[in-house]
Amino acid sequence: MSISYVPVGKSGKWDGAMDWLQMLSGFSLILFVWCHAILESSVVISPDVMDAIGHFLESTGMVQVGGPLIFLVFLSHFVLGARKIPFRFDGQKTIWQHAKMLHHLDTWMWIVQIVSAMIILIMASIHMWVALSDLPITAAKSAARIQGGYWAVFFLILIPLVHLHVGIGFYRIGVKWGFVKDCNRAKFKKVVDVIVTAFVVLGLITLARYYFMSVN
Amino acid sequence: MSRLLKFNIFRYNPADEVSEPHMEEFVLEETDSMTLFIALNRIREEQDPSLQFDFCCRAGICGSCGMVINGRPGLACHTKTKDLSGEITLLPLPVYKLVGDLSVDTGSWFREMYTKTESWIHTTKTFDPTAIEERMDNKQAVDIYELERCVECGCCVAACGTARMREDFIGAAALNRVARFLIDPRDQRTENDYYEIIGNDMGIFGCMGLLACEDVCPKHLPLQNQLGFLRRKMGITSLKKIFKK
Amino acid sequence: MQTIYTDLLVVGAGLAGERAAVEAADAGFSAICLSLVPARRSHSSAAQGGMQAALGNSVMGEGDSPDVHFADTVKGSDWGCDQEVARMFADSAPIEMRRLAHWGVPWNRVVPGKSIYYKGGKQYDKVEKEEKEGLIMARSFGGTAKWRTCYTSDGTGHAVMCTMDNRCAEVGVEVHDKTEAIAMIQDGDVCYGVVARCLRTGELITYLSKATMIASGGFGRIYPNTTNAVICDGGAHTLCIETGVVPMGNMEAVQFHPTGIVPTDILVTEGCRGDGGTLLDVNEKRFMNDYEPDKAELASRDVVSRWMTHHMREGHGVKSPYGEHLWLDIRHLGAEHITGKLREVYEICTSFLGINPIHQLIPVRPTHHYSMGGVRTNRDGAAYGLKGLFSAGESACWDMHGFNRLGGNSLAETVVAGGIVGKKIAEYLEGCETTFKTSLISDVVKKQQARIDALVNGTNGSENVYKVRAAMQVALNKGANIFRTQAGLEECVATLQETLIRARNVGLRSNGKGVNPELAAALKLEGQVKMGLMVAYGALQRTESRGSHNREDFPARNDRDWLNRTLAYWKTPSDSLPTLEYEPATEVVEIPPGDRGYGKSEIISADDNKE
Repeated sequence: MSISYVPVGKSGKWDGAMDWLQMLSGFSLILFVWCHAILESSVVISPDVMDAIGHFLESTGMVQVGGPLIFLVFLSHFVLGARKIPFRFDGQKTIWQHAKMLHHLDTWMWIVQIVSAMIILIMASIHMWVALSDLPITAAKSAARIQGGYWAVFFLILIPLVHLHVGIGFYRIGVKWGFVKDCNRAKFKKVVDVIVTAFVVLGLITLARYYFMSVN
Repeated sequence: MSRLLKFNIFRYNPADEVSEPHMEEFVLEETDSMTLFIALNRIREEQDPSLQFDFCCRAGICGSCGMVINGRPGLACHTKTKDLSGEITLLPLPVYKLVGDLSVDTGSWFREMYTKTESWIHTTKTFDPTAIEERMDNKQAVDIYELERCVECGCCVAACGTARMREDFIGAAALNRVARFLIDPRDQRTENDYYEIIGNDMGIFGCMGLLACEDVCPKHLPLQNQLGFLRRKMGITSLKKIFKK
Repeated sequence: MQTIYTDLLVVGAGLAGERAAVEAADAGFSAICLSLVPARRSHSSAAQGGMQAALGNSVMGEGDSPDVHFADTVKGSDWGCDQEVARMFADSAPIEMRRLAHWGVPWNRVVPGKSIYYKGGKQYDKVEKEEKEGLIMARSFGGTAKWRTCYTSDGTGHAVMCTMDNRCAEVGVEVHDKTEAIAMIQDGDVCYGVVARCLRTGELITYLSKATMIASGGFGRIYPNTTNAVICDGGAHTLCIETGVVPMGNMEAVQFHPTGIVPTDILVTEGCRGDGGTLLDVNEKRFMNDYEPDKAELASRDVVSRWMTHHMREGHGVKSPYGEHLWLDIRHLGAEHITGKLREVYEICTSFLGINPIHQLIPVRPTHHYSMGGVRTNRDGAAYGLKGLFSAGESACWDMHGFNRLGGNSLAETVVAGGIVGKKIAEYLEGCETTFKTSLISDVVKKQQARIDALVNGTNGSENVYKVRAAMQVALNKGANIFRTQAGLEECVATLQETLIRARNVGLRSNGKGVNPELAAALKLEGQVKMGLMVAYGALQRTESRGSHNREDFPARNDRDWLNRTLAYWKTPSDSLPTLEYEPATEVVEIPPGDRGYGKSEIISADDNKE
């Protein structure tokens, strides 16, 4: 380590704040994604239920205000997280070699997080743009898009990636901030595994429902 | 008939101009209760006297013999060959400067860490040889010792993805050291003082929580808990610093 | 070549060396410690038990005082110690423990109230006093009248070493680790520093100093089986021996421990036997009850070690690729006891042997443990023969241990002696001015370079360094072990003399470039064999049994003829035997020689007439 002294006068005051923001933005996105997934899955019960929920959210203005807000949080979270991502090739090579050498799941999980982050950045942006620029949200419109084919593939990629990213993020916040202690880590990991699997399955069922829904 | 063990060992002698980094194979017959300490010494004495590696106490106490054993940083002295497959790959610890073959320079790294973290009790009190000692709660003493058990083998830093990517990251051993003084009532440093040392992206906020440190630590130090403790403590200190001014 | 100047140069960065360096630095002098390994890896850190100091805080230590501690130490030494030194030690130890607490050592503290403890396998109660709450606690240790051993859980040496090294970093004592001293810079009777070899690059470095201190620990590695760390090879002692004017004191006083595990020679505690463990031979048959019908396995350390060796010599040892051994059986104590009270033993067996002592036998044998002898110094820690040379800790023969040291006294000695000697060094440095002759320095360096070149080029021969080293170790193990006889020691001396010739003809098989481990071993080998000869020849001449020095042919302690200390010199490099001189064991006599109260008690008193 060539740890040089922190230069005098360079306070790390904002480094702490940014760490908070990274965690809080991540946490709110986790909550959002899980809520989103659950509300979306209401279509499985009936497209009418989903339309009712959509109508409620739009009539109260939550979509119009919340949507862009989420997008803002989403972008900030990326910027904050990106502080830790190696964008130079030698950095990427190092971490890749390191993970291959170490055979360590948590280290691999971080790489999954980084790779998924890049893909999600693009795909979720597209998804948000398409959804928000064509209000109101209705089950019929969504179904039509998905039955077009391309969007089905799009969501087949996006849904598992998002839940993986969100699940790992949830686990990471727990262990990193010490909310989960060493003695509970393995148990916590298992709980997160179950959550991620459940949401991916739920997402696929929702997707299937759209795919096979009859569109008038 | 005992197994024949195949060792793939990293070889490079920087002081020898014809030496190139490469892997070399050695074959050794396994004996009862064989550890890597025994195996490596036999290879040196019987096959290649120039083979460099570090051992000292050979009892898991001193931390000299950290190396990458089949991909994982660990102490060679308490690694038994019977727990490994017949093919054993040994690499020097990354991050630290290579001295030669399996030997690295952890000494300079840690010495710099002491300076950086000011790894000593900061107090304005002076010692009075005529007085009885200051009292301390036994529980507190035991808690301090728990963190003092670090043997500075360097495995946590070598296993840390952040330390591999960022040279300036201070590493779990250093953060654990700060925690050790933070909980010591004899040290008069305040949270703001500690924040100056580790309250930045080279310190606790640089940690990405990959926890390889926790998973490879041969002394099973509670690194995960300490890192979490420091992150919360320093996180709160940072908010105080921002909002109080 | 690099030349580095410092006021105080310490060879070794263990507890004694760093403690002295801190003392010098506090007095305003520059200090550098050279060390084979980073300071915290020093063998001081391996001492788990604790440090003896008569604080008397525990209820079990009530009535303790430096006087009692002093008496225990003198008896333990079998009256071989310097009583003035033992007195200084016992008086200073409590203060030193408090100082360490001030510096940051997390000593275990007194917890008031009722608690249980074990003795001889039985459970007892004790009640610690309220008014002592939070003061430094002590535990029980062999050979002491009171509970006197200050400790931090199972890692006292490690914890104190951390604190001491922190203190060094704080006061600016430099530690140059991976640096090995290979020759002393000596002009007549003055020491000017050392020539060292950098173990990062293989280059030679000159260290010049006003005062030089040897604090390099023991030299157990001249034996094949030792609990000592790999670095305790006596390398720094060889520098002193090479001067021809610095004597080694009491080299024949070597302590063995009955239960070192095979193959790695790590100690398993005596508690195993205390709690009812038994020793078995190759037929898995108990034997100690035949030799010692009364006490069996519970006889004292040296007695058990002796019978174990005897039994193996009779052909009842277990053959293994690592030599013969016996079995320690604790299976009948049960899983709960083994993983509870004997947890440390359980962990050593599982992590280093891959043996589960609940179901399996533990391979053990008597193992070299501690060297009472070393660089002979006066009470100030100044070495005999060379001005500006000091020594403290296990490397020194300061001499508070005499012929046997008590558990917990050695670790305490490191910091107490380090403090006392450090102060004396600071006094010496005060007003000490010196001049360095460049011609002298370059002569020494040239000589060392020539020595290295000869080894690399095989100018002197092609003896294999590891084989010669093994020959030395085997000879010492055979002849200068727990049991000593005239015939055995004569054979040992003769073998070592042959080995010395072979050691002078060593040539490297590798190219010697950079940090070559073969070269490092070769550079100290001749000196090590000389040290071995000092042990064996000293033991041959000492026709009595005292402390750990047991002559089967002279079983009595002989205070009439041998109440003295051996001083071994290597006067001319080409000699084939050391020159032995003797001095009285102690000038100040507080406690006249008497019965130790344990062990054998055959004594030839100083008042007995000569035969």
